[in-house]
Amino acid sequence: MTQGEVINALARRRMLAAWMAREIVPHEAGMRAWLARARVSAEDIDELMQEAYCQIVSLPSVDHITAPRAYFMASLRHMMLRRIKRAQVVVLDAIGEIENWRDENIISPEDEAGSRITCQRVMAIIATLPERCRRVVELRKIEGWSQKDIAAHLGMSEKAVEKQVWVGVRAIRAAWANAEAQSAQRMDQTEFSAGRGR
Amino acid sequence: MNPALEHDHDMAARFVARMDGESWSEADEAELQLWLDGGAGREGLLLQIHAAWVAATPVAQEEVVEEAPAAPAFWRRRGFLGAMAASVAAVVGAGRWLDARSSFATRVGEIRRVPLADGSVMTINSGSELTVRMAKSSREIEIAQGEAWFDVAKDAARPFTVAAGKVRARAVGTAFSVRRRETGVEVLVTEGVVESWSEEDESLRLRLVAGERALLSDTAVVHHESDRASAVDRSLAWRSGMIDLNGTSLSEAADEFNRYNQRQIIIADSAVADEQFDGLFRINDPQGFAEAVKASLNVGIDESDPRVIRLVKSK
Repeated sequence: MTQGEVINALARRRMLAAWMAREIVPHEAGMRAWLARARVSAEDIDELMQEAYCQIVSLPSVDHITAPRAYFMASLRHMMLRRIKRAQVVVLDAIGEIENWRDENIISPEDEAGSRITCQRVMAIIATLPERCRRVVELRKIEGWSQKDIAAHLGMSEKAVEKQVWVGVRAIRAAWANAEAQSAQRMDQTEFSAGRGR
Repeated sequence: MNPALEHDHDMAARFVARMDGESWSEADEAELQLWLDGGAGREGLLLQIHAAWVAATPVAQEEVVEEAPAAPAFWRRRGFLGAMAASVAAVVGAGRWLDARSSFATRVGEIRRVPLADGSVMTINSGSELTVRMAKSSREIEIAQGEAWFDVAKDAARPFTVAAGKVRARAVGTAFSVRRRETGVEVLVTEGVVESWSEEDESLRLRLVAGERALLSDTAVVHHESDRASAVDRSLAWRSGMIDLNGTSLSEAADEFNRYNQRQIIIADSAVADEQFDGLFRINDPQGFAEAVKASLNVGIDESDPRVIRLVKSK
């Protein structure tokens, strides 16, 4: 691989991650809630999500996707139906839910509002990190410094900064998964109580 | 989470942390490829964790909430601009000391040389719109549409920066062109060194030397070519009123002519659209080009509509 190819491969990964961060990540909790309503287990939701992300990576380009959220949900729905066809025991409830999935607007704006990754939420996650890691992540994510500049400023090696970023990446990932699970649970409960009230 | 999955998460997070830095190397790329090939679904996991990390940027979040970067109202009145005779050089807002902002637009087919106050010269290509802002410590050009070539006067104290969308190209004393395309922003260097990057992702800084060309999107280096000095010269043939084709596909060549001429070339025979074509043509002579195509690719010319030249299957 030449240096140019390495740069291109990295640039493509960064571009895709930025696109997903912008178009899909803000809707992820809503999508998980939607899957949970179809009685998909938390573990299966994780798998489906990962599979849908894989599908995006396999595309030669995402430029043609004009409605990313609808596209992503259609792909989840497709994978879900394929799973059900393979499964020997079919839960009728699940089929009913999935049949109703045609409308991508099934996630209400209220659901969305509750699941948005707000600035405060990010700050709250960062605030819980261990001291050394918190300083590095704050400089990187809030001040927008490069890892190199952070290393020079804090008198650390670049490798040590990278290590702290690694801890930060894991923490943010975990906090996300946690928040999504909670939000999915909350929406499920809301729906349950609404159902009883009828 | 089972231990194997947890380990995968850890590894993915480690690669994301390294990609977040500035020292991604060939060895890193090889190591990542090896890991990705080692288990199904790792590509998806990596993207998931990468996207979560990128999303956790308070600043990026604000950008998501905002509308797409709004173009100044001036640029939206395309029809109004197009209707104006010849070139427009209106001083839109002259503010502080030495801080004058001028806007320029060229019509289809018009190529214009504009000397700037600092001694630099810019040559604006057909159908372009741009703004020039000369300040005490900076020289800034913003391309809203189209392409321009810059011969920059040396002035180390006032960096010369060209912006097109979120992509930036900066030079001290050099000659280069910036073209805003649908797929990204193309930067071509004819002399000296230009540094280019995207406001979206500063880590994508790229140094381009004479003879190099790069296509940058807001978030990625899409294409990077070097040692193609002759190709760079060819791409800038428009400065002398020529179009220089060298192995260019017929559809691309037609697009080039259509950029400069009201009379549009339409390729009605899709079978020849990808045929490659060589030759040096006058920019304002689509007819001459069509005749040459007719002779070498054995296609017919339909001129029943005076506004277009249709290349059709020969009977």
